[in-house]
Amino acid sequence: MRTKLHSARAMHTLLLVGLLAGGWARALPGQGLANQSQPKADPGFEEFLDRVNTYVRLHNSLDSTLPKLKTTDRPEVITAHERALAIKIGEARPTARPGDIFTRRARIAFRRAIRSEFQGSDGNAARTTIRQGEPLKEIHLRPNEIYPEGAPFTTVPPTLLLKFPKLPDTVAYRIVGRDLVLLDVKGNVVVDVMHEAIP
Amino acid sequence: MSSGRQSGMMRKGLALILSLLGLLLLTAQANDFQFPLKAGSVRFAAIGDMGTGGAAQYEVASQMVASRRTFPFDFVIMLGDNIYGGSGPKDFQNKFELPYKPLLDAGVKFYASLGNHDDPNKERSYKPFNMNGANYYTFTKGNVRFFVLDSNYMDPNQLAWLDKQLHDAGNGDWKICYFHHPLYSSGKTHGSSIELRQLIEPLFIKYGVDAVFSGHDHVYERVTPQKGIYYFTEGSSGQLRDGDLAKTNLTSKGFDTDRTFMLVEIAGDEMYFETLSRTGKEVDSGELPRVTHSELGAVPSSDASSASRKE
Repeated sequence: MRTKLHSARAMHTLLLVGLLAGGWARALPGQGLANQSQPKADPGFEEFLDRVNTYVRLHNSLDSTLPKLKTTDRPEVITAHERALAIKIGEARPTARPGDIFTRRARIAFRRAIRSEFQGSDGNAARTTIRQGEPLKEIHLRPNEIYPEGAPFTTVPPTLLLKFPKLPDTVAYRIVGRDLVLLDVKGNVVVDVMHEAIP
Repeated sequence: MSSGRQSGMMRKGLALILSLLGLLLLTAQANDFQFPLKAGSVRFAAIGDMGTGGAAQYEVASQMVASRRTFPFDFVIMLGDNIYGGSGPKDFQNKFELPYKPLLDAGVKFYASLGNHDDPNKERSYKPFNMNGANYYTFTKGNVRFFVLDSNYMDPNQLAWLDKQLHDAGNGDWKICYFHHPLYSSGKTHGSSIELRQLIEPLFIKYGVDAVFSGHDHVYERVTPQKGIYYFTEGSSGQLRDGDLAKTNLTSKGFDTDRTFMLVEIAGDEMYFETLSRTGKEVDSGELPRVTHSELGAVPSSDASSASRKE
């Protein structure tokens, strides 16, 4: 029993070392902008990260014009800040449309990463993760739209996140139906969307 | 009023009193588990998938208040899906502040983790959830270190943070992780989160995590220890999926016919727990020894986007 336990631990340690060598641990967390050392081999991801960084600079400049949001026991204060930021973002990007950040080259890179995830040995596990996260159906969001109030957040398969470029805290990947959405977390507003990304 | 009718009413009243006494006796006999209530022990309650604002949530909350008279817990860990279906001010009021008002008024603190029905931006900034603006964070109570994860979005940042925090915690204190999606579950609707398990269980083993609490499946389940770690699913503190537990060899104890919550005391190297239904019936209880974890690795990393504090 003890021997089995030790070999199981050794296998898990090996798995972790493999993941570290695979690249995710190279990422330096907590940075203001996207880490340029992330999956850089693909020019599509590079282009995507450049656009993300430009967006984050815009977000930071808009957010700095609002009173700083501190933790509060008044939810209405949080909602007001979120709405004010979303309005400012919308005003600053009035012509935002799908593909501004998920550019054509970026979409090719993302589709390649997604295909390798869903066609690989972990494909079924990734589908299960999405299904377990109670996926939203028949909703197609557009840039500058607010994430629907009360709608659940579908779990993004963690192994898929390891294949995507690492994002700064300002934005996050979301799966909405079969669409891959880039969401501004503090504004709860859609930055960009890649339709029909998830098989 | 006739004397016949009077005596009939008296008989009914007596029968009612006797029934209540019988029920009390039965309850007392069923709940014969006793917490040691040792000086300096860490005492908390665990609830998951509770934020519906429905009658069942309020009934569980009332039972928690009643339990606190004999088991004075100091804080509550929230296993996600804290506020369902909208997160406006009224939602926070009806789905959190009102049901748990007696506990909040008594100074009981709540520490939330995020579920898939929670709005991260709103809940992490909501002071009574004690997340201090972070989606994932850690805090210490006595000899227990808690690691609160966001299992909706286990990105490289969070993985690196978890690795560092578990490493830095050393091996002196208990390590308890909690988050929404269960790594092991016999729930028919969702079941085990295999992908998440592949990523974080190696860290739990490497750094000697002692116990893990989750929700998501709307049942109660105590899982047979996995690789030296105790796993609990408590996802029925408001929601319930009646009959949703499948028969698997994972289950040590399962309950899927009513809402539940957990009470936990950690004293030295022992963890005592009791799971109660919304009617106060004991569903599960026990005493679990801390498993000795001798292996401790070192993989340094850093993260400024999350919180760590000593309470």
